[in-house]
Amino acid sequence: MNMVFQINGRDVGIEVSDSELLLDTLRHIGFSSVREGCGVGACGSCTVLVDGKSVSSCLVLTSRCNGSSILTSEGLADDDPVVSQFIKNGAAQCGYCIPGFVMMVSELLSENPIPTEQEIYNHLEGNICRCGSYPEIVQAAMDASKAKQTSKLTC
Amino acid sequence: MGGDLTNLEIENDAAAVGQSWQRSDLEAKVRGTFRYTADLPVPRCLYLGVHRASQPHARILNIDISSALEMPGVVRVVTGADLFGIYGELIYTGPAFADQPPIAIDKVRYVGEPIAVVVATDLITARAAADEVYVEYGELPAVLDVDDAISGSDYVHEHLRPSSVFSDLKHLQGRGETNVNYEYNLTSGDVEKAKANSDKTVSGEFWCPPTSHVAIELFSTTAWVEGNRLEVVTTTQTPSYVRQALASMLDIRLNQVRVRTQPLGGGFGSKMYDRLEPLVAAISWTYKLAVKLEITREETFVLTTRHGVAVSSQMSADSIGMIVSAEADVRYDTGAYADIGPRIASKSGMVACGPYKVANARVRSRCIYTNKTSAGPFRGFGVPQVTWSHESLVDELAREFGEDPAQFRRKNLLREGDVAPMGTVMHSADFVGCMDAVTSAIGWNTPLERARGPWRWGRGVAVGIKAVLTPTISNAVLQLNQDASATLLISTVDMGQGSDTIMAQIVAEILCLGPDQVRVVNPDTDITPYDTITAGSRSTYHTGNAVKKVAERMREKLISIAAQLLGVSETDCKLTNGGVVASSSQKYLSIDEIMQLHFGAIGTTLTTESNFTTEWIPYDKETGQSVKVTEHWFAGAAAVELGVDTRTGRIHIAHLAVAGDVGRAINPALVKQQLEGGAIMGLGHALFDEIVMDHGQMINGTLLDYQLPSVKDLPDRLTPIIIENPHQTGPFGAKGVGETAIIPIAPSIANAVRDAIGIRFTRLPLTPERLLMAMAGEGD
Ligand code: FES
Ligand code: FES
Repeated sequence: MNMVFQINGRDVGIEVSDSELLLDTLRHIGFSSVREGCGVGACGSCTVLVDGKSVSSCLVLTSRCNGSSILTSEGLADDDPVVSQFIKNGAAQCGYCIPGFVMMVSELLSENPIPTEQEIYNHLEGNICRCGSYPEIVQAAMDASKAKQTSKLTC
Repeated sequence: MGGDLTNLEIENDAAAVGQSWQRSDLEAKVRGTFRYTADLPVPRCLYLGVHRASQPHARILNIDISSALEMPGVVRVVTGADLFGIYGELIYTGPAFADQPPIAIDKVRYVGEPIAVVVATDLITARAAADEVYVEYGELPAVLDVDDAISGSDYVHEHLRPSSVFSDLKHLQGRGETNVNYEYNLTSGDVEKAKANSDKTVSGEFWCPPTSHVAIELFSTTAWVEGNRLEVVTTTQTPSYVRQALASMLDIRLNQVRVRTQPLGGGFGSKMYDRLEPLVAAISWTYKLAVKLEITREETFVLTTRHGVAVSSQMSADSIGMIVSAEADVRYDTGAYADIGPRIASKSGMVACGPYKVANARVRSRCIYTNKTSAGPFRGFGVPQVTWSHESLVDELAREFGEDPAQFRRKNLLREGDVAPMGTVMHSADFVGCMDAVTSAIGWNTPLERARGPWRWGRGVAVGIKAVLTPTISNAVLQLNQDASATLLISTVDMGQGSDTIMAQIVAEILCLGPDQVRVVNPDTDITPYDTITAGSRSTYHTGNAVKKVAERMREKLISIAAQLLGVSETDCKLTNGGVVASSSQKYLSIDEIMQLHFGAIGTTLTTESNFTTEWIPYDKETGQSVKVTEHWFAGAAAVELGVDTRTGRIHIAHLAVAGDVGRAINPALVKQQLEGGAIMGLGHALFDEIVMDHGQMINGTLLDYQLPSVKDLPDRLTPIIIENPHQTGPFGAKGVGETAIIPIAPSIANAVRDAIGIRFTRLPLTPERLLMAMAGEGD
C-alpha cells in the first residue's frame, strides 16, 4: 500500500507491503538508530515514539502507522536535554541499546516531568542494556528532568 | 619560523593518562548516528537463510532441497557435502581443534547446527525457503550430560583433530573413543598427607549452568569477491584470527582476504573466532556471490554459550585455620565443538584453588564434548565457574572454624611475591586490598539487623584471581600528520570497553596532544596490523604497551628531525605541546614547522610502528607447574549485603561493592563502568541467567523466556572501587579490567545468602524457587 507519515518532523511517502515491520522500514530509509536486539519486543533497542508513545518497532506493522508522526533519536533537537544528560553522564558503553533508552526517557519526561527514581525504574524496565550502563542511564534521566525544570524556570 | 618559548609551557599541561576523557564516540552513540557493522555500506547482496538441525546427534540420511529451490527468489541451496566436495578437510575450522564444519557434513552434533543454507534475493525469502528444506535423520544416542560424556561409550567425534594453532595439542591428533578433548593437571606438594594432617576439611559438588552472552547487537557477516580477493565485513572481536582462518580454509593468501569490523554492540566473548564467517566466506568465494547473513536472536542462542561447568572440590585447613590443601576436579561442558574450550579448561584449572597460599594442591580440569551448542569464551574465560567453587568452599571452611570469612581469607590470601599453586609468583595483584576495600564499603563490621519480619539479612564476600591471556601479540602503527593530529592503526576492537578512547589517551600522553587530536582507525586487516584478539582483558596491557611504544618512537623521530633542524643535539630537545623545544636555546619549532621543513610539502605524515609480545613458559604437562604461566594477574573482590524474603525466596541486594586491581586506571570513568557492567552481568549469573536444556533442546532460547538483568535488578547501592597497584611493565602501570568484576559476584551473593538463612547453595542460579525449596528442606 501507499502511505504517508512523518518521521522526525518530515513527511515521508512510501509504498509498503502489509507485513512490513516498522523496524525494517525505518532502517531501510536510513534511521539506523533503530536496531533489532530480539525481534520479540523484549529488549527495547528498537524503541521509537509513535504519536508520542513508545513502541517496539519490531512488533509494529508499518501500514498501521499511516498518518502517524514518528520520532527516532536522530530527530531529537540539538540541545535536547535528555541527549545532553546522557552525554554528560557518559551513559553508554557499547551504545547499541542507548537510543532506545533515550526515547524511553524522553517519553517519561514528557508525561511525568519530575519522576521519582522508582518511576524511572518502572519506565525503563523493559529495556535491556547488556553492558550494564544502568547507573549512568538512571542518573542521566534524573539530571535531564532537573535540566528541563531549570530551563522552564529561566524561560 | 621558530621562536622563543617564553610563553609556552615546557611541560605537557594537559596530561591524558589518568583523566576521565569522554568516550570518543559517545555523542554519536547517544544520538544513534553511530554506525555498527550492519550499518556499513556493502555491495548489493543476496541473503542467506539457515536450515538448522532439530536433532542433537544424528546421521544426515537425506536432505531434500527441491521445494526450497522452487521458491521464487531462491538462487541456490548449499549443503555441507557441497563444501566438503570442494575444500575437503580444510573446511573444518576452529582455534584449538579443527573440528567444526560451517555446515554439517554427514552428521549433526547439536540442535541448531546448520544443515543447509539458502541463498536468495531477499532475507524473508531466504528464511522462508530454509524452512522448506527437509532432512531425514538417522538418530544416534545423544551425549547430553558432561559426566555421562566421560564415562559413556557414545562419542560426539570419531577422533580428535587438533588445529595447527597450538603446538601443545598436537599429540592428541587422531585419538578416538573419548569425549575428553583436553585435560589439564596441576599437582604441588602432597595433598593426601596434608589432608590427613589437617584439622578440618570441607567439600562440595558445584555446578554453573551454561548461559548466553546476549550482546544486544546481533551477529552480521557480509562477504563478496572483488577480483581475486575476498572482502568480509563482520561483527568480530578477532579480525586477525578471522583473516587467517578464512585464508587457510579457502587456501588463498592472507592479502587476498580483507576483514573489517566496526566497534561492536557488545561482545563479551561471543563474537570471537569462527562464528558466521567461515560459512559466509565459503559460500561467497565458492560461488562468487555477494552474500549477507544476519541471524536472529534465537539463532544467536544456538551459536555459542558460556560453558556449563561441574566442579567437585575440597579444601582443608590446619588447626590455626591456614589452608593446607585444595583439590578440584573441573569438567567443562564444551558442547559439540571445542572452540577455545581446551584453553579455557587449562587457564581456569590453574586457578581452581583460588588466590590462596596452598602448598598442596591437585587439580584436574577437563574439556568435554557433548551434543549441545558449542561453548566458547565468555567474559571471565571459565574462571567465574571455578571461583564459584573455591569461594564457596573457603567460606564454609571459615565457618567451620567459627571465623569471620573476611578475616579467614585475609590470613590465607596470596600477597606480592608469594608463589601461587601453579608455581608463578604474584605481582601487582592486591587481593587483600581489594577485599578490604569492598568489605569496608559495605560496613562489614557494623551491626546488622538480621531478622526483619519475614526477611533475613546477611553479608558475604568473595575474591577472584585470573591470569591474563599469555602469550599474545599486539602491533600498532602511528601516523603523525603535519597539523599535529595523529592517526592510530590497531586491530583492537572497541566493544564498549572504550579501548579506542584509552589508546588515544596513551598516544596523547606521550605526544602531548589533546582529546580530539588522535583518531583510532577501525580494524581493517588491509590497514591495521595483526593483533591476537580483543578478549581476556588483554588490550589495555598488550595493545596499550604497543601503542605506548609506537608513540614513543614517534616522539624520538620528531625530536631527531627537530634537533637537526635546530642544530642542537637530540638530548637537548624536548617534545612539548604542539612542538619541540631546545632546552639550551629555548628555540622552538611546532610540529607543523618541523614537518614542512623536513618534507618541503604540506599535508605530510610521519609513520612509526611497534610490536609488543608477551612470553610465557608453558606449564609442565604432568604437574601444571610454570614459573611464568602468565604475564600478569587480575585481582578482584566483591562484598554484598542482602535480604532474603523467606515467604517468596526472593533476594534483595541492598549494597554490592566490587573492586578490581587495575594497576593504574588510564581512564577512571571507563574503568568504573567496566566494574559496574561486570558486576551487573555477574548478578544475572547469580540470580537467574541460565540456559535450560531438555533432551538436547534449548527451551528458553528467546529473549521472551531468557531473563537478563534489567534496571530493576540494580542493587540499592552499587559501589565500584578502583585499586591501583601499578604493574611494573604495564603501560603507565596499567592492566585490563573487563573481566575482573564478574568473577567474584556469584559466590559473594551465595555467601551472603548462606549468612542470611544458613543454607549453602552449590548450584547456580539462586532462583526464588530454589531458595524456597531449600528453605523447605528440599532440593539442593
Ligand atoms: S528488537 Fe524490538 S524489542 Fe527487541
Ligand atoms: S551500552 Fe551496550 S547494551 Fe547498553
